Amino acid sequence: MSNEVNAATVTAPLSTDAWYGHKGNLYALAIVGLVSLGSIWTLAQDMRWIYLLVYIWFGVGYGIFLQYGRFCMASAVRDLFAVGVPRMAVGMLIAVILFSLTAAVVKVLGVNTFHPNPMGWHIVIGAAIFGFGIVFTGGCASGSLYKTGEGNLGALLVVLSISFSQAIYVTLGGWLDKLVPASWTASAAAKGMPEELTVTEGWFDQFTAGYVWDLQGGQLAEQLGFEGLFSGAFVGNAFLGAILPSLLLMIYLYQSAYRKGYQRRYKIETPRFGDHLRGIWSMITASRNTAIAGLALGVLAGGHMWATGALREHYEIFNFGELLVDMGHTAGLSIQETVFDPGYWYITTQEAQWGAWLLDKSGVQVTDSIFFGLDNGIPNPLINAPGWMSIGIILGAAVIALSRREFKWKKPSFETAMFAIIGGALMGLGARIAMGCNIGAFFATVTNGDLSGWVFLAGMAAGGWLGVKAFNAWMEWRAGSDDLAI
Amino acid sequence: MGWFGRHKRRQPSALKRVDQTVTLADQSALRVQVCIDCLGAVCPRPQLLTLRAIDQMSEGEVLELLVDNPSSAEAIPAMGMALGMTHLATLKDAHGWRIYVRKGYPK
Repeated sequence: MSNEVNAATVTAPLSTDAWYGHKGNLYALAIVGLVSLGSIWTLAQDMRWIYLLVYIWFGVGYGIFLQYGRFCMASAVRDLFAVGVPRMAVGMLIAVILFSLTAAVVKVLGVNTFHPNPMGWHIVIGAAIFGFGIVFTGGCASGSLYKTGEGNLGALLVVLSISFSQAIYVTLGGWLDKLVPASWTASAAAKGMPEELTVTEGWFDQFTAGYVWDLQGGQLAEQLGFEGLFSGAFVGNAFLGAILPSLLLMIYLYQSAYRKGYQRRYKIETPRFGDHLRGIWSMITASRNTAIAGLALGVLAGGHMWATGALREHYEIFNFGELLVDMGHTAGLSIQETVFDPGYWYITTQEAQWGAWLLDKSGVQVTDSIFFGLDNGIPNPLINAPGWMSIGIILGAAVIALSRREFKWKKPSFETAMFAIIGGALMGLGARIAMGCNIGAFFATVTNGDLSGWVFLAGMAAGGWLGVKAFNAWMEWRAGSDDLAI
Repeated sequence: MGWFGRHKRRQPSALKRVDQTVTLADQSALRVQVCIDCLGAVCPRPQLLTLRAIDQMSEGEVLELLVDNPSSAEAIPAMGMALGMTHLATLKDAHGWRIYVRKGYPK
């Protein structure tokens, strides 16, 4: 069967130059060299920085494969509704299947760092706002980071907008407090939080302490009562929680977005079972790079959990904050002496911390919130371990983009810049309401048997669908009149 | 809507009817009928414009798409099966990619 329709691989111009004759390769090498030298220098100061370096290097790994597969989870949902193409949705599901398996291995090894999210309506609502935003920014939270690494300054604007908008939402009070239901305020007040947090002021504190904390969450293995460690991790969490839903979604995607075209293309009149299987395979391999990236990201994400979990065991800590205190860095920690330290792939919270750190430096009170004051702290970005993961994604993407000659400084047009700022602010709002983005609240969640991630996906899909409608309407309105009749 | 109407600035059209011939890597010549310039645009614009162009082209016509957004360059060829088009070639130059697709499935 010929494969010419599927051939998504770009044919690069043949170059007769030696690899070092190409500037991009030299810049890429320089970035790798700087990160390596920086790592060695940091370790020479104190070996315990290895905990932070794990975040950086896994970030570099994520960046490399995100760029390699042009892996944007935002377009998984968006392309499906906008153009009916399942390429990225399939790539994402491959990554989910692989990550669920590696996460199960890590769980059996006893160092799984995952914490389930509370299940509630806030996930659907937040995810829908997030899904609406990503259509306009042209990238999800991690997508904006790797596109920044390609030299796309519009994507950098999205990252900045996500950072500052979240920091601002989390600390906003005043008239917004009037929108908070009295039951949340009462419930938050009853939690007996330290006074300096002022949990009954600020809508986000009351939302967190008065609503989210009262919700239940969990992993499928426990919910179904799988007692054994092995059966719980592999059958309960990985197979039933992630692999089976992913396979069903793939069949649905084939049926709704791919089958018709495939049968017309190969002139199949009466498809048999084998034809459908070949069709599904053709859909999975429609973009080789994306499929490979999905596999690699799934393995990396599990490896990241394992590395952080093993280091926590080694240093006998629960949170990076304890190591920071040991090393004498106490500024920016939360009142529990913790910092944000998920132990797995996460994007939005550390970006909120960057924004909050700058706000704090400019005199805005941010540490009286539960989000920063109690849970995550606002460490200096230089010692913010998950923050370095985000920077690692940018650097990793830059390395591979430079060596593939895809790096290009791109200034956004006025329209793109406005979309980046407004869309980024919507993504920030959605991520805070849903308690995570498409990585933290979906990818890392469904793969560990926490079904709230599928709820996030449903909400993000709904928001994405509305976003595509709105974006199309905008394009119609802005388009030149001859656009419609070429 | 009047307020918006007064301030509305129409963009120059991104879709153009052309009649040009391109030489591919294997020295074969390709006649191009429609060209979309998406340089500087990010997802989902190139994908949406391709969809719109393919909708309005006739069977057998060739579309040239200029993009410098890597994720669009990856997405367009993979759209073939769903949109009823054949990816012919992707050329890379200093500005980005030139992607050629023909409406209709391969014979």
